[in-house]
Amino acid sequence: MKRRGKGIGCMWYPIGFTVMANPSAATVKVNTDGTATLLTGTVETGQGALTVLGQIAAEALGISTDDVHVVSGDTDTTPMDTGAIASRTTYVTGNAIVRAAEAARELLFEAAAPLLGVKADQLEARDKRIQVLGFPSKSLPISEVALHAETNVGRPAIGSASYNPPTVPMDPETGQGKPFNTYVYATQIAEVEVDDETGEVEILRIVAVHDCGTPINPMLVEGQIQGGISMGVGFALQEEILFKDGVQVNPNLTNYIMPTSLDMPELEVELVDNYDPTGPFGAKGAGEPTAVPTAAAIMNAIYDAVGVRITSLPATAEKVMMAILEKREQEAKSA
Amino acid sequence: MLVKLKVNGELRQADVPPETTLLKMLREDLGLTGAKLGCDVGDCGTCTVIVDGDSLNSCLMLAAKANGREITTIEGLATSADLHPLQKSFEELGALQCGFCGPGMLMSAKNLLDKNPEPSVHEIKDALSGNLCRCTGYTKIIEAIQDAGRELSGAAAGN
Amino acid sequence: MVTTVKDVKTGAEALTTDKELTAPAVKPVTLPSENPVVYPLTLPEPAARTQTPAVGQRASRPDGRLHGLGQTKYIDDLTFPHMIHAKILRSAHPHARIISVDTSEAEAMPGVFATLTGKEIPVNSFGPTLQDQPVLAGDIVRHRGDGVAAVAAVTEQIAADALEKIKVEYEPLPAVFDPVEALKDEIKVHAPNSNIYASKVIRKGDVDKALAESDHVFHREFRTQFVEHVPLEPHSSVAMWDGNGRVTIYSSLGRITLGREDLSRTLRIPQNRVRLIGTIVGGNFGGKNEITNEPILALLSKKTGRPVKCTYTRGDEFVSSTIRHPFIMDYTTGVNNEGKILARKIRLVLDGGAYCSWTGTTIGKGSILAPGPYNIDNLLVEAYAVYTNKTTTGAMRGFGAPQVCFAYESQMDDIAVALGIDPLEIRLRNAFSENSFSPTSQVLQSVAIKESLLQASDRFGWKE
Repeated sequence: MKRRGKGIGCMWYPIGFTVMANPSAATVKVNTDGTATLLTGTVETGQGALTVLGQIAAEALGISTDDVHVVSGDTDTTPMDTGAIASRTTYVTGNAIVRAAEAARELLFEAAAPLLGVKADQLEARDKRIQVLGFPSKSLPISEVALHAETNVGRPAIGSASYNPPTVPMDPETGQGKPFNTYVYATQIAEVEVDDETGEVEILRIVAVHDCGTPINPMLVEGQIQGGISMGVGFALQEEILFKDGVQVNPNLTNYIMPTSLDMPELEVELVDNYDPTGPFGAKGAGEPTAVPTAAAIMNAIYDAVGVRITSLPATAEKVMMAILEKREQEAKSA
Repeated sequence: MLVKLKVNGELRQADVPPETTLLKMLREDLGLTGAKLGCDVGDCGTCTVIVDGDSLNSCLMLAAKANGREITTIEGLATSADLHPLQKSFEELGALQCGFCGPGMLMSAKNLLDKNPEPSVHEIKDALSGNLCRCTGYTKIIEAIQDAGRELSGAAAGN
Repeated sequence: MVTTVKDVKTGAEALTTDKELTAPAVKPVTLPSENPVVYPLTLPEPAARTQTPAVGQRASRPDGRLHGLGQTKYIDDLTFPHMIHAKILRSAHPHARIISVDTSEAEAMPGVFATLTGKEIPVNSFGPTLQDQPVLAGDIVRHRGDGVAAVAAVTEQIAADALEKIKVEYEPLPAVFDPVEALKDEIKVHAPNSNIYASKVIRKGDVDKALAESDHVFHREFRTQFVEHVPLEPHSSVAMWDGNGRVTIYSSLGRITLGREDLSRTLRIPQNRVRLIGTIVGGNFGGKNEITNEPILALLSKKTGRPVKCTYTRGDEFVSSTIRHPFIMDYTTGVNNEGKILARKIRLVLDGGAYCSWTGTTIGKGSILAPGPYNIDNLLVEAYAVYTNKTTTGAMRGFGAPQVCFAYESQMDDIAVALGIDPLEIRLRNAFSENSFSPTSQVLQSVAIKESLLQASDRFGWKE
């Protein structure tokens, strides 16, 4: 008989390395037509880093995503970056980019101030213009200001900066300290159907609500969460490298089973409204945590469905069936 | 041995050793690197192309077997006038992340829509079951295929 | 009339007739086309990319269009003139001493350009925390995925055939596979050093006293498995050593800054002579965060003067790149009658496989996160990572967090069921709030755990 159950998994997850310095550097160059070039030493690994980092640079300069070209992934031309690891790119590299863009923007403000008859600190960059705070009508196109800064003032709008999240080392005896600068939080809830004759688990639905601070690009955050859940589903029910005497038994995609399109349930993804003042425009990160609570939610849903606690992953049909049989045996004994 | 085939509407040929797969010939002899090598044994689907109207794993087909046949690869999906609706919807909806599964996914999706322009979610999942993706959880890919299907069937109905 | 015409490109002469010369017919093109990709040369940008403010826009990815056109170039899509291919021979034993490696027969094969062994690598060790891993094995192999020798040949097939001609003499050593066995240090993976190569303690309050005073104490052991990253793109690199002693390497590595440091160190050349280029990584998930075959290819290129490429097979990907740490997790938790957690005692054992890799980060995050997102005043977390003669475990999406989350959330439901409290309610009673203290006594800010619990349960219809 197929039995339904629901289960919760919630989690917390840090951004960046544990205590260890993990800096990023960035250079932002504003071109004389008001577009910009961003140099970053990170590499696009599919998560959408270059899109998000471009959006962060654009935001700081008051221009659009399409106005920023991102140059990345070449040790000869781009500044150092600790890389695509530890869910750190949006937060750490993003913070470096905000600072680099602000340095470039400051040069634009200084060039524009005499033209607009105000002090540099009375200016803002918005909608592709440098404008007097609170007086949008008193403004100049960024292109005009950038050209003026470069060709008349002689100070091109180029900024470089780095960022490293502040930490406090952990005490070796007690582990007390501040290993990370910020954390994200999430809850996933799974609904499953367990066949108590075969032990087979079908996931019907997963609701995932994640905190990533400000979502720089909600579409890409959703993609991260959906992908993370699929990895969590594999971890929960299917994936395992088996060894015999130190030799992998299933080192291929024929016998190592991972989720296909048919294994994925309906996913409902939402974000928590949150803002972290230490992150770029309030952002934290989204990469790894998306895969963290899925297996826990599924195991709790299996318990809710058939009353067995799975204590080792993955919860294959055989393992679930064994647990169900064991439970029946115990119930028969005690009856 | 000399293999002649029609790829993306163009006659192409190459002299290849007999053990050469269609995937290897496309990538190494014809310069069409869109189809990817992910496992070389037909498990992952990154090498999917369409041969005489059916999608298949080009790593499992010998080049010799493709002699005289008509192949469509990812490079033949767009025209000089426009992108294929699948390419548009995949781009706009952020369906792909690292993109490595993309060429195979898109060819499986094209094969599906060619035969069934308005597939159900289950039919889409079925059609993609041989194309592994590790990044996306398949969700946005499925949405993008539905979206493209709507556009294609709308165009067919003259809307 | 018959005339001789000369092809201006090749100089080849051919006989032709007047008729053909005067009336050139349009012939079907059978030559490889110059540009095999057909697509519209100008396309409009989606609105979300052209609007301000930029942050918060559902902007499409610039690489997304290229993915759809098949134009994204991954490393394996690159070819260079005179490029040759490398393959790596893996160990035949999980633990053995290498007596000798004889590559002469392989080198003599037609089509083989060069071979390489561990002894030829200037500094034969690397690793993000402990530099305990050889690029190619030195005297000892410690798992089946260790590289023993490499071959560069004109084709991948010849390189693969040549691997079979390499004669390696091994003296098998006793091996240890079970992490609990390995803790005893009876068989050492890195003799004379202990198998326990990393540990972590987090201590707060008085855990034993608080457990003794708890209304209920729950105990359970949880275990997790080895998991492979399965990036759809296998690891791939191309190295080109030039006449100035500079090496350019295209690699699927996700961390080029640190990759360059590792290359400079292992090759013993200045960093400014190494250029590392990443295009787009076809899936990483933590598995492409350290160098693998790059120094080998650089040295084979130096030996042959040719670009050398190596793309892992799916099998290489499983056995020689890193995988996820299995955890053995022992959880003891004391609660009061209302389900408030008073104390938690946790012991973690991480199967580290043959080398350290990213275990330092995994044990750190795993230990800190192990108590869960809950206010707990009395805590003890003790974690140990041990070497075994199996595939190296390293960084993988979550660094130990999915493992410990499975344990702490499973136990949370055990407690909820035993005390008759709703799983949502017991979490809300214990979850962090703004300014809560973390297990390391850090004051937490921008905390959103309760918000996520409430929002998710509303969306799900938990109370229905």
